[in-house]
Amino acid sequence: MATVLAPESDPPVDTTRARQPDATGFIERDGVRVFWERYGEGAPTLLLMPTWSLFHSRHWKFQIPYLARLFRVVTFDGRGNGRSDRPEESAAYADTEYVADALAVLEATDTHRAVVIGMSMGAGYALRLAAEHPDRVLGAVFIGATIPILDRDPATPEIQVDPSFEEPPADDSDWGTYYNANYWRRDYPGFAAWFVGEKVFTEPHSTKQIDDGIGWALETDADTLVTLEYGSYLSPPEDWQREPADGRALLFARRVRCPALVIHGDDDHISRWAVGERLSRELHAPFLTIAGGGHAPQARWPVLVDRAIRDFVRGLEVSP
Amino acid sequence: MITSDRAPTRTDDSGRARLPDRSGYTTAGDGVRLAYDVYGSGEPTLLFLPSAPIVHSRQWKGQVPYFSRTHRVVTYDGRGNGLSDRPTTPEAYHDDLMTSDIASVMDATGTERAVLIGLCVDGVWRSIRLAAEHPERVLGIVAFGIGVPRIGPVQEHYKTAGAQFDDELPVYQGWGNYNRHIWTSDYERFARFFFTEITSEPHSTKAIEDATRWAVDGSVDAMLAEREAAFPWDLEGIEATVGNVRCPILLVHGTEDTCQRPERAQRLAELTGAPLVLVEGADHMIPGRHPVLANLLIRDFIRSLPEASNDGR
Repeated sequence: MATVLAPESDPPVDTTRARQPDATGFIERDGVRVFWERYGEGAPTLLLMPTWSLFHSRHWKFQIPYLARLFRVVTFDGRGNGRSDRPEESAAYADTEYVADALAVLEATDTHRAVVIGMSMGAGYALRLAAEHPDRVLGAVFIGATIPILDRDPATPEIQVDPSFEEPPADDSDWGTYYNANYWRRDYPGFAAWFVGEKVFTEPHSTKQIDDGIGWALETDADTLVTLEYGSYLSPPEDWQREPADGRALLFARRVRCPALVIHGDDDHISRWAVGERLSRELHAPFLTIAGGGHAPQARWPVLVDRAIRDFVRGLEVSP
Repeated sequence: MITSDRAPTRTDDSGRARLPDRSGYTTAGDGVRLAYDVYGSGEPTLLFLPSAPIVHSRQWKGQVPYFSRTHRVVTYDGRGNGLSDRPTTPEAYHDDLMTSDIASVMDATGTERAVLIGLCVDGVWRSIRLAAEHPERVLGIVAFGIGVPRIGPVQEHYKTAGAQFDDELPVYQGWGNYNRHIWTSDYERFARFFFTEITSEPHSTKAIEDATRWAVDGSVDAMLAEREAAFPWDLEGIEATVGNVRCPILLVHGTEDTCQRPERAQRLAELTGAPLVLVEGADHMIPGRHPVLANLLIRDFIRSLPEASNDGR
């Protein structure tokens, strides 16, 4: 498999971090190296999942220093950004690959079971991990979940990537203009500024989060994200029973057995609030709505989210 | 007394992290009513001072909830803004009155002695003066954005804009907004400009928005009156006053302070022998814009005070 390798040399230590990792390393699967970090000594372990590779693991910067005081925290850069490799085939970006990376990172950090926490597409990866590997997942937290869980129109073919993605924009809507492979290749920073600045962080006073987010986005590139776009996401196995109107994610949610917490902003411009609401109903999970919150409350409302995670984890019955 | 017809107000009171345990008014020597708030318990009392009539006591929102966990905290709205009266004559903003207001609030709240914490002229110079003249009441001073007139140069933009403050200008750009005609026609525009200038760090939108709102709570007539208030001190008198201060002092100043030049902080450090923390990249509003840093500096300063400071008020 052709793979663009991450730089060999260690980057300089980021001295602005509130908390440095206690251990770091790489796992390698099919020639793709994935970078992980471990913090803290408490129990249980929290696995902070990667999200869409527009961002890397620094999107958890407000969770790591706090939660690592109380628990053991493991995170990793999703393939396609950060210090992980950028494979050049879409198959390498399937959700099953992220789930397999997560399992490999659990092995590498001697973690038998963890509370799995995911944001946006990372909530989809966490959902698949929880549904398919219940023995490894103590509990799950889904933040701004971006998953196809709402009822679909059975008359419409189920396609993951709209063909207009590679065409000249069909209309002058902002989604049509910016969420487009040609636009990404022509003006990737412009796309990042629009997506992060206008769609992810819709709350006032988000300039720091926007600067951070654009910075993480610029650590990868348009070609990587176009390749990733065609990676399979929450495709259920053929033999899972499905009603025509069922969203694909619903089938995974039905298979989750662990306790869960769902957090969603009611002003989320990436994934509608109704998505989180439906997920919480399906999981019989408590649902924390963040009034006025956008797509990334873990970055914009960190105190609220950290405390919700803390209380959720403390409420789990963890056997040694 | 002539006062502004604007009703005293503080619009930003709903989202407070900590509500006062007691609020009240005291009446200053000239009849002006001053609104104060008292929070928490624990010695020594920390008295957070007004900075200027452009803002009111909510400027300390980043400090009050933290310190009222461990200390008795007193704040008050300076004359001219918040819930305090807004006199519109320059005499009402005389240095003597602005200084004695501190003592009035201490008397009204049963505060014999306190650590004074202030920003800019009303916070720093007045606390220096009170400490020099009534050393028994001041346990220590934490001074931000060192506003002591005359001991160092004035920012050029104040000189330029001040010289044409009353003039009608063809266009009002940049510091041209520091002008009577903008103040009286669109005070919010001036306030937003001013706080954007003196909070020049990136990611300051919330701090700027807050301060602009506190300004709009106030009174342009009070601002104009305060601007014309006499300041009856020459450099010699100021240095002599500074030289009479005996209590511990901590000076904190941003290297990028757009309101008060760092030379003033350096000079005050020379005159007092007090430690000066120069905050790299920071502008004027350190307590509001860098609350964690400001709070840890204040906390460590309080801990460093002699043990005797911590028994009884």
